[in-house]
Amino acid sequence: MIPIDKISAERALQAFVGSDAYIHSEATSFTFVRNFKVNVTHAFLAGDGPYRAALRFDGHGWLRTEALTHYEQDGNGRLLLAGFDDRGRMNVAFHLGKEPFPE
Amino acid sequence: MNTPDKTKQRKLLAVFAHPDDETFICGGTLAKYGSAGVEMTLVSATRGEMGRRMGNPPYLNRETMPAAREQELRQACEILGISRLQFFDIRDKTVEFHDAAELEARIGAIIDELQPDVVLTFHETLGGHPDHCAIGKATKAAYMRSGLEGGLYYISFGSTMAKPERSGYTRQDIVKIDVSKHKRTKLDAFRAHRCQTEIDEWVWLPDHEAMSYFGDYEYFIVGDGRAPRRSPVDLF
Repeated sequence: MIPIDKISAERALQAFVGSDAYIHSEATSFTFVRNFKVNVTHAFLAGDGPYRAALRFDGHGWLRTEALTHYEQDGNGRLLLAGFDDRGRMNVAFHLGKEPFPE
Repeated sequence: MNTPDKTKQRKLLAVFAHPDDETFICGGTLAKYGSAGVEMTLVSATRGEMGRRMGNPPYLNRETMPAAREQELRQACEILGISRLQFFDIRDKTVEFHDAAELEARIGAIIDELQPDVVLTFHETLGGHPDHCAIGKATKAAYMRSGLEGGLYYISFGSTMAKPERSGYTRQDIVKIDVSKHKRTKLDAFRAHRCQTEIDEWVWLPDHEAMSYFGDYEYFIVGDGRAPRRSPVDLF
């Protein structure tokens, strides 16, 4: 994971617009959802760091995640966004992939 | 009552929930029995892949975490002298939602095959995390049906069981293991769990300073009320 570069992270996020995506989303100490599948219609990245990401999906859905600090495009066409505190502990994660994430 | 047979290979089975449970909670005891030639097997229900700590600074993400933590656990096992490691491949934080009968049967099959003298697991209410309590409950149930007797113990945190009355136990329910000669091995195992311990500065102090953070004793709760405690200072 590397600190978010807004332009390239936003470009990677936008690449999911118009297609189906599998999502892993978590607020680490509270909740996670793994492998819900949505059709992404809009994607946004906002802020100057930490960042906020949002998706509109399926014509009626929202997913919004804040406190994002790091990202990575891994070898499997997946975009991994995460928010860490100043001691490396994860607060939030927001992953998008074209295929289901390992169960 | 079981009388230890000196000619027989002594065996210990530990059934825990996450990589690092074995080291952080009872690493001194495992190091001690490992160095004494006890054959040790560890079951980890999960790979700890939903943890918050990802190195400091972070070098892991949610998707790389399971393999990294498995590798760290394999290294810790080697350090502690645990020769067999098995994962149940249950997702971290979901053990309590797993089919309890199936979990109990899997643990029962391992107990049947291994015939361990000692089984370590979590206490089903004092375990401190839902995954811990769930794996402890299933292990207890499997042990009670196994035909073995008197060798089930619950691990406990730090020195809380130096005063067992506070948790509704008496001193007769507790085994106190002297681990004072095994702190270096325990420290090495802590350091093997790098992504979890990098945040704790004390672990990375010079060895003798870091080792001073460990207590001289680890405490175990006798888990099988059908048999008397074997020893106040030994699990076997």
